[in-house]
Amino acid sequence: MDFWHRIMNIDRRWIYLLIAISVTFPMIVVMKFPVRVTPETRQLYDAINNLPDGSVVMLTFDYYPNAAAETEPMSVAALRHMFKKNMKVVTLSNIPLGGPTIAERITREIAAEYHKVYGVDYVNLGYKANYNAVMHGLANSIESIFPSDYTNTPLKDLPLMDSVRNYNDIKFIFVVADNATVDYWIQIVNAQYGVPVGAGVTAVVAPKMYSFVDAGQMTGMLGGMKGAAEYEKLVGHEGKAMRGMDAQSLAHLMIILLVIVGNIGFFVTRKKDSEKS
Amino acid sequence: MRKTVPVIVAFLSGFVMVVSFFFNPERTFIGGGQEAVLQWVTIVSGFTLVLGVFSIVRVNARAVARRSKGWFYKLLTVVSVFAMAIPAMLPVSKNTVGGKIFFGIFPDNWGTLFGTGPSSIYDWLFTYVDQPMMETMFAMLAFFIASAAYRAFRARNAEATLLLLTAVLVMLWRVPMGEAFLRLFSDSFPQYINMFVMNGFNVAVQRGIIIGAALGAASMSLRIMLGIERTYMGKG
Amino acid sequence: MKKRLIASVLRIFILALFLIGIFSATAFGQTVEDPIFRINRLTVLVFMIIFSSAVLLYTTWARKGKKLFVRKIPGIDAVEEAVGRATEMGKPVLFIPGISDIDEIETIAGLSILGRVAKITARYDTPLSVPVRYPMILAAGQEVVEQSYIEVGKHDAYNSEIVKYVAGEQFAFTATVNGWMMRERPAANIYMGAFFAESLLLAESGNASGAIQIAGTARPEQLPFFIAACDYTLMGEELYAASSYLSREPLLLGGIKGQDFVKVIIIVAILLGVVLSSFGIGSWFVDLFRVP
Repeated sequence: MDFWHRIMNIDRRWIYLLIAISVTFPMIVVMKFPVRVTPETRQLYDAINNLPDGSVVMLTFDYYPNAAAETEPMSVAALRHMFKKNMKVVTLSNIPLGGPTIAERITREIAAEYHKVYGVDYVNLGYKANYNAVMHGLANSIESIFPSDYTNTPLKDLPLMDSVRNYNDIKFIFVVADNATVDYWIQIVNAQYGVPVGAGVTAVVAPKMYSFVDAGQMTGMLGGMKGAAEYEKLVGHEGKAMRGMDAQSLAHLMIILLVIVGNIGFFVTRKKDSEKS
Repeated sequence: MRKTVPVIVAFLSGFVMVVSFFFNPERTFIGGGQEAVLQWVTIVSGFTLVLGVFSIVRVNARAVARRSKGWFYKLLTVVSVFAMAIPAMLPVSKNTVGGKIFFGIFPDNWGTLFGTGPSSIYDWLFTYVDQPMMETMFAMLAFFIASAAYRAFRARNAEATLLLLTAVLVMLWRVPMGEAFLRLFSDSFPQYINMFVMNGFNVAVQRGIIIGAALGAASMSLRIMLGIERTYMGKG
Repeated sequence: MKKRLIASVLRIFILALFLIGIFSATAFGQTVEDPIFRINRLTVLVFMIIFSSAVLLYTTWARKGKKLFVRKIPGIDAVEEAVGRATEMGKPVLFIPGISDIDEIETIAGLSILGRVAKITARYDTPLSVPVRYPMILAAGQEVVEQSYIEVGKHDAYNSEIVKYVAGEQFAFTATVNGWMMRERPAANIYMGAFFAESLLLAESGNASGAIQIAGTARPEQLPFFIAACDYTLMGEELYAASSYLSREPLLLGGIKGQDFVKVIIIVAILLGVVLSSFGIGSWFVDLFRVP
């Protein structure tokens, strides 16, 4: 078998090795390329920034732990932005596995940096089954769906929740998701109750969300780790997303190189095979 | 009876959901029907969790008892189910349900180990066992995408070539290094990709698929509601 | 026949009674500020009536024997071929009805297709394996497969272990199925339903194991992965049409034709909206489709 035929039939583990090298190399050699902000990220940032200080916003943790590399930096950057503006933050999750735990850990960590008090400046409602019932139920009364928060404290004992009864008291919903939950926030909450919704989603889900942003059903969007890095830049606090850009850049370039090599091999072997026959 | 009752239940459930969409829940009972149905769904879904646990224990316990192939891993599965579930359900303090009896036997400071709060057994197992495993599986996607792209992205014909070129441009645009490379050609190149590819072709195609899928789902829902589609009922 | 007629008449009678009652009540009780009937959602009601009427009309025509043309969908035609390949090789068929719960319409579509596929595997005595992620799907899947085996007269060949509850967590499910695929080397993998991040993991492992793969999902974000890694892919509404297509039952095909008719109306509306908006007189038309 000649070189190009061997390239075309290469064991996939060599490809895995090349990707592994391209992802780990930036850990040794740090390259920093400027991150430029896309219009969708700017739109989401401006929507939060233009809200009056002290507004009540909802931040959802609708992602599984496996997508945390892309979505956790979004949650962190969003929280920093909200706490900087002294906003009151209500968090919840529609994902039973991990969502509320991640929400608890991240909100407490970031809140401590900004000296925010639980129950006064932020509340973690936790998780309730059946997103449909939750999203519709919150329109009438948050307490009817979440009688207590994630730590089983009754909502009536939390000062923040005295003034936050339902969607009418919430100025913006920032959804961070890795699945179709963001669709339901748009279709149910934005479409039927008129609450503005913006989202941070994984890169896989992002192409679908452009149609909602374009239609005005969604106010801005963060797409994948790049979107998170853009938001970190706007908030002015470099985090995991910015640091992950080098590895992602090299991985993308490696895949492009592999595709080019594969296509060269395809044309060369096709020509050779047709000459033989 | 066995065929008719599920069809009637499906019809009434769907009918209530549809009709209540058009009525004010504060002024009519039918307007609040949607919320009532959803609450029933939440309650019924809770019972299915019990079914799931029972099923997984039954299947794996049988395999362990027979010492069938891979029985040790099946034993680990059953142990894992209870290792996370039981500590999460135990009382965290004397004030919680069953707390007085439990902490009458065990020391009070054991309360932090139970429940789902920080430093509990559940939280530790989730953060240091479950989460890394899930992240590892997700990370494998990077390798699989590379091998799938290497195998599938071939310029076999005009459409495939166009797809290939667009994919390469979007992959470059999506990372800072690639964007810097594109700016060598023109400062507005990344902006044009965003405008014409992501907000142009991509939006058009996504909308087409979303509309088609939504119509398909609506048609399927109507068929289920009217009892025309019954395959999902099985022995109905 | 008589029972069906009585049931249809009863349904229409109850519906009519209900609507008359509600509309009469709303006519007396309606105020602008706090309406009983949400008049601002009238567009949705009109569209729903058009949609339902189209589906029911085509279904009625199909019932009366009218021939309905449905274009070939290669992915669905390949299902029987894939099962045949598995039979020849003496290898099992793997079917995954998605990884969402039964409240997702895609999962119900997947279960409907499972019923059809189970009939084919029962007929050819091909081993079938259906790993599932949720207990409700386990119960429904077992019923569906058993019914298929009964209908083909192969109830003795049915085994409740065909449909297995594997794991409740997405990647635990994927890891188990991948491991099973690499060990058992099924000849055909059929993925029909709602899939998320595990779609590429499943499809690539299936490709590595040498199986012929047919996938169908209505999630646009997962379609590229299936298209890259599978031999045939059903996109969006083709998934919902697959069950009807496989069964070739006129009633079900009527539903597909009805939805296609509505699609034509939507296309006309889009073109009209584009033309009107291009001339700057389209705002009234666009407002018709806003749902407050």
